[in-house]
Amino acid sequence: MAVYDGLFRVTGLESWCSSGGPNEGPLTMAELIARANGTQVEGAPAPSVPLMETPFPSLDTLNKSCSSIPRSRDMTQAVEEGFLAIKDPLKVILDPLTQPLSWMLDWSLDGFQATPWFIMIPLLVVIAWFSTRKIGVTVLVALSFLFMAFIDFYDDAISTLSIIFVCTIISVLLGVPIGIAMSRSDTMQRMTIPVLDMLQTLPTFVYLIPLIFLFSVTESKLYGIAIILYAIVPVIRLTDLGIRLVDKDVIEAADAFGMSNRQKLWGVQVPLALPNIMAGINQTIMMSLAMVVIASLVSAPGLGVKVLAGIRNLELGVGLVAGFSIVLLAVILDRSTKAALGRIDSSVRQ
Amino acid sequence: MKKFLITTAFAAASVGAFGGAFGGAAAAQEACEGEIVITEMNWASAAVVTGVATFLMEQGYGCDVKVIPSSTTPALASVAETGKPDIVTELWINGTPAYGKLSEAGTITTLTDVLLPGGVEGWWIPTYLAEEYPELTTIEGLLANPELVGGRFNQCPEGWGCKNTNAGIIRALDLEGNGFEVFQHGSGETMATSIASAYENKEPWLGYYWGPTSILGKYDMTQVDLGPYNEKNHMCNADPDCLDVGMSSYPVGPVKTVVTTDFEGKYPAIAEMLTNLTFTNDQMNEVLAWQESNNASGEETTVYFLTNYSDVWSDWVSDAAREKLAGFIQ
Repeated sequence: MAVYDGLFRVTGLESWCSSGGPNEGPLTMAELIARANGTQVEGAPAPSVPLMETPFPSLDTLNKSCSSIPRSRDMTQAVEEGFLAIKDPLKVILDPLTQPLSWMLDWSLDGFQATPWFIMIPLLVVIAWFSTRKIGVTVLVALSFLFMAFIDFYDDAISTLSIIFVCTIISVLLGVPIGIAMSRSDTMQRMTIPVLDMLQTLPTFVYLIPLIFLFSVTESKLYGIAIILYAIVPVIRLTDLGIRLVDKDVIEAADAFGMSNRQKLWGVQVPLALPNIMAGINQTIMMSLAMVVIASLVSAPGLGVKVLAGIRNLELGVGLVAGFSIVLLAVILDRSTKAALGRIDSSVRQ
Repeated sequence: MKKFLITTAFAAASVGAFGGAFGGAAAAQEACEGEIVITEMNWASAAVVTGVATFLMEQGYGCDVKVIPSSTTPALASVAETGKPDIVTELWINGTPAYGKLSEAGTITTLTDVLLPGGVEGWWIPTYLAEEYPELTTIEGLLANPELVGGRFNQCPEGWGCKNTNAGIIRALDLEGNGFEVFQHGSGETMATSIASAYENKEPWLGYYWGPTSILGKYDMTQVDLGPYNEKNHMCNADPDCLDVGMSSYPVGPVKTVVTTDFEGKYPAIAEMLTNLTFTNDQMNEVLAWQESNNASGEETTVYFLTNYSDVWSDWVSDAAREKLAGFIQ
């Protein structure tokens, strides 16, 4: 006898309930203690539950009264079985779509790692100079890489850099068009915002573990997907925001000049939205770096591996220094991209 | 009047306190003062061990127990620095250098082996593969047929002791020269998932794993015969700086219940109960297999053990505690 027996009696569902078979759920600790203390005897009516302790009519509680109602664990089991049932067709669809990501990550990693340090570090410094034209940033880039190489973190730093490089490029290439599309349609914005919220808050392991069933765990696209799904959100949101924030009067003026939609987009809206888009790209890079350690949990190479090793071995120094290197990478990428994108943006006067 | 009432109240309270203290002293043999802090490690067998220990302490000895989720390294670090938690359950001492240091310093006392014979570590292949190609359970067969096991060895994540030991065995066998790719996982979760994924798809799999765990309870795996245990080789394999590696199988990994020395002095009766609290590998595997097939939580699995093995655990507790627990013994 349980709390909600009366409900099923009143609604006449008792015969349906008893067709569900005996209630064979595992005992909980509370039931064990109640049974041992003699407060619960098999078959006798349970003592009436005080009003303040009435349990919520959850699946488990209702199952005690009516064994045809599935328990919560049956629901989670059904989700698992559903996934296992659809995983083969899902694999056929998703595998080819995401394979280019694997190739790009692998080639980039091979390329970055194959280049010797005496070519790589000067190359990075030269790129920093020509894109930013700022002495301070260039010196910072040079000193940071020299420091990381000096403390034997060069390989890991370069691996992380290559992963961030590929993931950021893909995030921007996918994110800016999605942001532009969102800015032109309120419906699309309404539909996309919840998806973006979910991408930022859904715990990564929750969807990564099922993905291991679809792709092999050795595929680099696993951590590529993890990083891109998290890091793409800022660039989408801020592109949408930037374009929507363009002054209505300017749009009106553009219309008055007879500009087509495409001309308006690329000639007026995007240039004026550029500060916001740049902020979005900047945030995307930062969030990619934030995901480095989680990416290492799914076998990404780089500084995240050192952080995890430091944590697991309780080598605090290793963890802290590796973490600091990630911060250093973040700072130099932040400064470089801000300076570089600042040169493109016509609204920023040097 | 007010002064009279206050004085009377104080008098009554102090009499009550004294009476309580005297009454309490008589039961101090079994009663616990203060809170006992026990770890619950983040794997399945540890949940059962902690659950059973907590139950016995609360119901049998009337203790106030606080359960702290933890894992090996943080638990020992906390004990070293703060002396809490009091009880560290299921400590796998292989590859835990902090354990030796703390034992020598006298900070911790080892009570017993909580799992007998202990942790089983080694290289595994799925049983369906072993039945189809029995030669894969030997080293020679394995080296000769890399494509039959998928051409890949699943290596432990960075930071695990087994990573070094496996690396030594891999070098000694020249696994990579024989056509194997050594893939280092990022975390234990991806290792477990790769086993599950391979088993669901009936694909080959070769790698390191340990038991008793839910994965080995759920999926039938066969061990690869790594030969006899050679202590010198094994010690060198486990040391990342030692170059003189050689073949050796894994010894049984001792799994200990560890308490702080202070705790042992303060609660000798509980320490004695914890010393008796041991599971055989077979018992633990059976319990974990039940958990898997019933999708049960850690608490429900503890209850399963308590109800089905009451003849086993009733011997662990003192006579007074056994009387209190009489309602649970069947």
